[in-house]
Amino acid sequence: MSLLEIEDLRVTFATEAGPVEAVRGVSFSLSRERLGIVGESGSGKTMTGRSVLRLIRAPGRIEARRMSFDGIDLARIPEREMRALRGRRIAMVMQDPKYSLNPVMRVGRQLTEGLRLRDGMSARAARAKALEALEAVQIRDPERVLEAYPHELSGGMGQRVMIAMMLIPEPDLLIADEPTSALDVTVQAEVLRILDGLVRERGMGLMFISHDLNLVSRFCDRVLVMYRGRIVEEIEANRLSQAQHPYTRGLLNCLPTIGGPRQPLPTLTRDAAWLE
Amino acid sequence: MALIEIDDLHVTFDAKGRHVHAVRGVSLAVAARASYGLVGESGSGKSTILRAICGMAPVTGGEIRIDGRAIPARRDRAFARRVQMVFQDPYASLHPRHTIDRTLGEPLRIHGVARGTERGRRILRALEDVGLDPAFRFRFPHQLSGGQRQRVAIARALMLEPEILLLDEPTSALDASVQAEALNLLSRLRAERGLTFLMVSHDLAVIDHMCDRLTVMKEGRAVEALDHAQLARHDMKADYTRELFAATTERIAAAE
Repeated sequence: MSLLEIEDLRVTFATEAGPVEAVRGVSFSLSRERLGIVGESGSGKTMTGRSVLRLIRAPGRIEARRMSFDGIDLARIPEREMRALRGRRIAMVMQDPKYSLNPVMRVGRQLTEGLRLRDGMSARAARAKALEALEAVQIRDPERVLEAYPHELSGGMGQRVMIAMMLIPEPDLLIADEPTSALDVTVQAEVLRILDGLVRERGMGLMFISHDLNLVSRFCDRVLVMYRGRIVEEIEANRLSQAQHPYTRGLLNCLPTIGGPRQPLPTLTRDAAWLE
Repeated sequence: MALIEIDDLHVTFDAKGRHVHAVRGVSLAVAARASYGLVGESGSGKSTILRAICGMAPVTGGEIRIDGRAIPARRDRAFARRVQMVFQDPYASLHPRHTIDRTLGEPLRIHGVARGTERGRRILRALEDVGLDPAFRFRFPHQLSGGQRQRVAIARALMLEPEILLLDEPTSALDASVQAEALNLLSRLRAERGLTFLMVSHDLAVIDHMCDRLTVMKEGRAVEALDHAQLARHDMKADYTRELFAATTERIAAAE
């Protein structure tokens, strides 16, 4: 059985102009693998990820025929049980560490807070565990990082701290929403290597949300391509170059390449039929 | 002679008691009608060079010349007519409570050109030039998509018919399909109007597609200058350029 099974997920926002459907009937399953979800802004990929943790505020509404995580019915459990899942069994890493870490709290306290409050660990044991987590994301001087405030860290370091924080409770599923998009290319590669190692070693499921098709195809096992709230194509990551859907093909073709021709770049002609 | 010449430029800020040396002795020359790229990662000083040209960052050493003459200490109207800038974030660079009409009309008003019906005609032509429907004229930025807003920002920069466009990451806030449209638009406008571009991006592939020549920057210094053909042949000397090149191509090659 898959770790996560989703059938006919819909996310609707009530607006003055009537309901707007951000996710329109999405179905997929996720095992202990790396699943990529790609699409452009407004395609519903972030909303799909957030729905799993019920992190959508009113006036947004989540509906699904089925939404189960390890046998737990995510659509029906009360908020209290959902809170117990968040962080502990399903964790989420967001795009920009600048907005996800508390700016006035030292990294060490942020990393150990959960361990001390939730797991009732002693200060010393929590600190040891935090150091271990920082080492796991290849931070060279974890002692110094524990004492630092978030603004004293670079973007790449901040994002590694975020990943370390999410991995401390050893979740079964990690939802990473554009985890490397705010990082420079040379740092991006490093963060991805770390994530990849952790997925392999711990057998975690990973939902990797990104706008970057090439990045996802290199990093994931399987890719879902979303367009305007729907999955238009599902493909094995290493077969991406053989993608059939004109939207996927268009996305692949419109990127400039080094040493490519100097002609105008191919652009995407959107077809109303893709919405069917 | 080059149209833009930068000689041993230094930019130094005092930020909260800390001394930041953002640009450390960068020199480059851009020929008229050429397209020149600055590429590097965050904090490399590439955007600061554009801001220094416009007078938005303090030049603390070296010289910037346009057409052989040092630019005036206070950038005047004549400067604004020759040099215009397009910023990265079209959500932040357009006044949220001004209609597109007012945004595009403002440079004309400040410079006292094209009054009355002529002003309206210029605005409509500008919209047409960047591929926007005339219906957008009286809308507000929040009613436009990111790509449409960036078209408005490009149209605004062209209202005074400048020779030089400084482009600061003009497409990095846009989706890939919208980026392609915006890059095509910029290339077409440059060819039609004989514009000179100085363009900044963190994306080597974008710079390679758009520029004849580029400088790779790191920590405020110019690491290496290359032309289009050298880059295509992988003919680079600095390790950092190679690293940047590898990180960019690796992402793309994986999908082939």
